[in-house]
Amino acid sequence: MIALWGRASQVELAAPLERAVWLLIDRETATSHRHARAYLVGDEPEDELPECDLYVTHHGRTLNGGRSFIQLPERFDYLTAGDILGFDSKGERVNVLWRHESLQNSVLLTERCDHYCLMCSQPPKNVDDDHLLDNAFELVRLLPQTTREIGFTGGEPTLYGDSLIKLLRLCRNLIPHSAVHVLSNGRRFSNLDFALDWAGIDNPNQMVGIPIYGPEPALHDYVVQSQGAFDHTVAGILNLGRLQQRIEIRVVVHKQTAPHLVEIAEFISRNLPFVEQVALMGLEMIGFARANINDIWIDPIDYRNELTEAVTLLDRKGLRALVYNHPLCLIDREVWPYAVRSISDWKNEYHPECLRCSVAHDCSGFFYSAKYRHSDHIKAIDPRGDAMHALPLLELAGR
Amino acid sequence: MSKFRLAEAFSAASDEWELLPFRFERFSPERVLVTNMVGEHLFLTGREFDDFMGRRLPNDSPLVRRLRAKHVIRQPNEQLPLDLLALKTRTRYRRLPMFTGLHIFVVSLRCEHSCPYCQVSRQSEDKASFDMSEETARRALDAVFRSPSSQIKIEFQGGEPLLNFQLIKDIVAEAKLRNLEEGRNLGFVIATNLALLDDEVLDFCGENDIYLSTSLDGPADLHNRNRPRPGNDSWERAVAGIRRVRETLGADRVSALMTTTERSLDRVTDIVDCYLEQGLREIFLRPLSPYGFAIKTKSFAAYDADRWLAFYEEGLEYILELNRRGLDVTEIFAAIILKKMLTNDDPGYVDLTSPSGIGIGALVYNYDGDVYASDEGRMLAEMRDTTFLLGNLHENSWEELILSPALLEPLEQSFTLSAPMCNECAFEPYCGADPVYHQATSGDYLGRKPVSSFCRRNMHIFKLLLERYESDPFAREIFLGWAGR
Amino acid sequence: MIERDVSFDATAYSADAIQRAAYRFSDRLSLDLQRVNGNYVCTLRLKDDLADQANDVLADFRNEVLDQTLRERIRSETEGVRNVILALAFSNTGLTEPSE
Repeated sequence: MIALWGRASQVELAAPLERAVWLLIDRETATSHRHARAYLVGDEPEDELPECDLYVTHHGRTLNGGRSFIQLPERFDYLTAGDILGFDSKGERVNVLWRHESLQNSVLLTERCDHYCLMCSQPPKNVDDDHLLDNAFELVRLLPQTTREIGFTGGEPTLYGDSLIKLLRLCRNLIPHSAVHVLSNGRRFSNLDFALDWAGIDNPNQMVGIPIYGPEPALHDYVVQSQGAFDHTVAGILNLGRLQQRIEIRVVVHKQTAPHLVEIAEFISRNLPFVEQVALMGLEMIGFARANINDIWIDPIDYRNELTEAVTLLDRKGLRALVYNHPLCLIDREVWPYAVRSISDWKNEYHPECLRCSVAHDCSGFFYSAKYRHSDHIKAIDPRGDAMHALPLLELAGR
Repeated sequence: MSKFRLAEAFSAASDEWELLPFRFERFSPERVLVTNMVGEHLFLTGREFDDFMGRRLPNDSPLVRRLRAKHVIRQPNEQLPLDLLALKTRTRYRRLPMFTGLHIFVVSLRCEHSCPYCQVSRQSEDKASFDMSEETARRALDAVFRSPSSQIKIEFQGGEPLLNFQLIKDIVAEAKLRNLEEGRNLGFVIATNLALLDDEVLDFCGENDIYLSTSLDGPADLHNRNRPRPGNDSWERAVAGIRRVRETLGADRVSALMTTTERSLDRVTDIVDCYLEQGLREIFLRPLSPYGFAIKTKSFAAYDADRWLAFYEEGLEYILELNRRGLDVTEIFAAIILKKMLTNDDPGYVDLTSPSGIGIGALVYNYDGDVYASDEGRMLAEMRDTTFLLGNLHENSWEELILSPALLEPLEQSFTLSAPMCNECAFEPYCGADPVYHQATSGDYLGRKPVSSFCRRNMHIFKLLLERYESDPFAREIFLGWAGR
Repeated sequence: MIERDVSFDATAYSADAIQRAAYRFSDRLSLDLQRVNGNYVCTLRLKDDLADQANDVLADFRNEVLDQTLRERIRSETEGVRNVILALAFSNTGLTEPSE
C-alpha cells in the first residue's frame, strides 16, 4: 500500500506557498524552467543545488541558506522526478497527485455526488472542494505529452458542468495523445446541451465510464439509492451514443447485482449495443461497502457461473468485455483472457497463498481493503493449472 | 446506516402496469413464449402467464421485473421504454430505405449440366438465343446504380455464367468504372458449378476481388446423382474447383450452397462431413424449393415438411456436437434466424424478411432483359407464371419497374404485420413474407399459413432454437456466436 | 366430414376472435359462423381422419378462441402506445440512432 498523503516531518518556508501544485524535478530533469517546479533533493551537497522556488527533502535532511524546503517522512521515499505533489499553503500537508511511473493515475475532482451507492468506495461529502478542480487544472498544465492515461473521478465530476468541459478541453489541447477516462453516473448527459458540449471537445482519446446496475429501474435505483437514476443515466448514454462518443459501461459485481448479471449483460447488449466496452468490476471493500457488508458482500466464487455467462454473452455479441479486480483463482478459466491486471498499484496486495501461484504476475491481486473481507477460496494455481491444496488461510492482520 | 433506503423504497410505485405491445404462443400448457415488439423473448409457465394476464402478479415480483426489463410492461407514462423500443425498431428497419442491395445478372441460360430440379437452364449451344447481350447488360447497370443502396452486390448467375465469361469481365469493368463516381461499396459474386474454372477465371477473380459461390450437395454419389453432366464428374470438378479457389485466392473466397433433394434426407451427417472435408465451415441446410424442374419432375412432392424437419434437426444436432468437439462450424439458416432473435440487426437475407425482400432486397436481370422481383420469381416464370415479371430493360424505365404493381402489390399484401395469423404470431419478428413461394404453392401472395409448408417449417425451427437456447448453456453460447457474426 | 356445433356468448366473445381461431385451425376444420340471439353459433366441419380426436380438436379450438380474445385485448390496450413507438422510431429528429 503506497502512501499518497500525509504530513511533512519538517517545514521551513520563506513565505506561505503561493501555489498548491508542484512538479518534482531532480538533477537529471532540472531545466531553466522554474515555474511550479520543486526540486527533489538527492545526496548532492547543498552548494550543488540549482536555484528553485521549493525543495523537497527526505531522510531527515534539512537545508540552510534560506532555502524553502519541505521534509517528507520515510514512507514518501518512493517519490521520483516527474511526480506531482499538492501542498497546503503552510506546506504541512502533502498529497501525491500524480505518480510518473504509475500507469493508473486517477485525479479526484470532488467528493460531492448526487448518488449514494450502497457500495461506494468514495462516500459522498457535501463540502466545497472546488480546490480539487483547481488543482486538476494545474496538474494537467504540468503533465508531459508522453502521459499515457489520466483518469478523472469523484464523487460525480459532471457536477462541475461547464468547468469540467473546460478541464477536458485543456486535456485535449495540452495532452492530445493521452487517454482521458472520466467516471460519471451519466445523468447529466440526459441534458442534450451538456452532451453536445462534451462531444464538442472532440477528443478521440476521451472516454466516459458509466455504471449500470440493473436491467430495469428498480434494481439500479436501489443500488445507487436514487429514484429515477436509471432513466436519467440511460437517457444520458443514449445522447452520448447519438453523438458517437466513446462509452464504457461499468458493472460492480456484488450481492445485489451478481444474481442479475446475465440480465444486465442482455440489457446492455440489446439496448446499448453501441458502447465500446463493458467492464465487470470486483468489489472494493471500503467506504459504504463495509458499512453495508451484509447486503453487499458475496464471495466471487459463488457468482463465477454468472460472470462467465455474462462475459460470454457480451463477447459473442461483439461487445468488448473486461473483468477487473477479480483474482484469477476465483473466476473460470475461460474468463481469464478478459481479466485485466487492474487494481491500481497503490491499492494492491497479495495473499500469502499467492506466493506459490504460477500466475500471480498476471493477476489483479486484491485491494488492500480485502483484509476486511475476502474470499474463502483463494488458491494458488500450479503450472499444470490445477489448484494446489489450500493452505490454512492466514489473516492479513498487521499490515 | 439509517441513511440507506431499502430495496422496497425503489420498487415500482404503481401496480397499474401498462402493457407494451407483445405477442404470445403456447408451446405447451407449461410453457408460454412471450415476444416483445422487437422480438426479445421470455418464457413463462402457463400459470405465470395466466396470473400476468389476470393482473395477479405481486407488484415487485421477479417476474414483473423481468417483464419490465424486456419491455413487455411499463409503469404508467414511463418514457424510457418507449424510447428504447423506438430505437430498436428503427435499427431493425434501417436497411429499408437502402434498397436494392443484390443485383442478379443472368448472363446466360446455357449450362452443360442437366440437374433434374433445376429451374432454369438450357441445354444448348445457341449463344445468340440464350446469352445476355452487351446492350442488356449496359441497361441493367443503369438500373443497378439507380438503387439508393450504398452496398451493391452484383451476382452473376445462369445457367452456368462462366459460359459467358467475356460478358462478366465487361460488366465488372464497366461497373467499377461507373463506381468511381458513384462511390458505392461494390462487390461481385459468381454463382458457378466451378466445372469450367480455369486460370483465366481465377486470375480475373483475384484481380477484381470477386467471390465465388458454388453448389455442393454432399458426397460424390449424392451430388452427381443430382447433377448429371457429360462425364458424370460434377462433384469431382466442384471439389477440385473449391480447392483451387481456396489455395489461390483464399479460403474465404469460395462458399457453397447445397440443394436438398429427396435423396439428401437420410444423409445429413455425410453432407456435413463432406463440407468439412473441403474446408468449408459454413453450411446452409436448405429446403427444396417448389419451382421449376423440381415440380415438373415431381421431386418436390417427394417429401413433405416433416421429413425435411427431421433432416434439419439431425443436421443441427450434428453440427452442435461438432462444435462441442472443438470444430467451428456454422449452420447458416439458424444463424440468420438467431441474428433476428438475439440482436436488432438485419441479416440481410432476402428470403426471410418482412416486408418481403422481392425488389427491395434483390432484383434479377434476365438474359433477355426481363426484370424479375426475385430469383424465385424468375423460376416461377419458367413454369409459365409471370406474376413477378416487373418489365423489361429495353421497354421500361427504372421507375416503371420499381413502381410496378407486380412488385408493390405482393409487397403490400404479404406484409406480415397485416397478414392473417402472421400479425398476431409471436414469431413474426423472426420470420418473413414469401409471396413468391405462396404464389407458387397456393396461387396467392399470402397462402394460408395453417397449411403452408413455409409457415410450418419456420415455426418448428423457431421453437426448436428458442427451446434449445433456454435449456442448453453450450448451445446458447454457440447460438450467441452465430447471431453475432 | 364430422359436424359439430359450438356456441359462444356474443357479449364475451367477438366474431373476429372466433374467425381468427378458425383460421388457425383451417388445416383441420372449416367454420360456418352465425349469430343466433345472444350467441355465436359455430358449425365446425372436421376432416374425417380426425374422427377419433374430434373432442380434443374441439377443446383446442375453444382454447384458441380464448387465446384470440386475449390477443384482442392486448392489441386494443397497446394500440395507442404502439403508434407512439412507431412514430418515434420513424420520426425525423435530426439525430441518427446511436451508431455501432
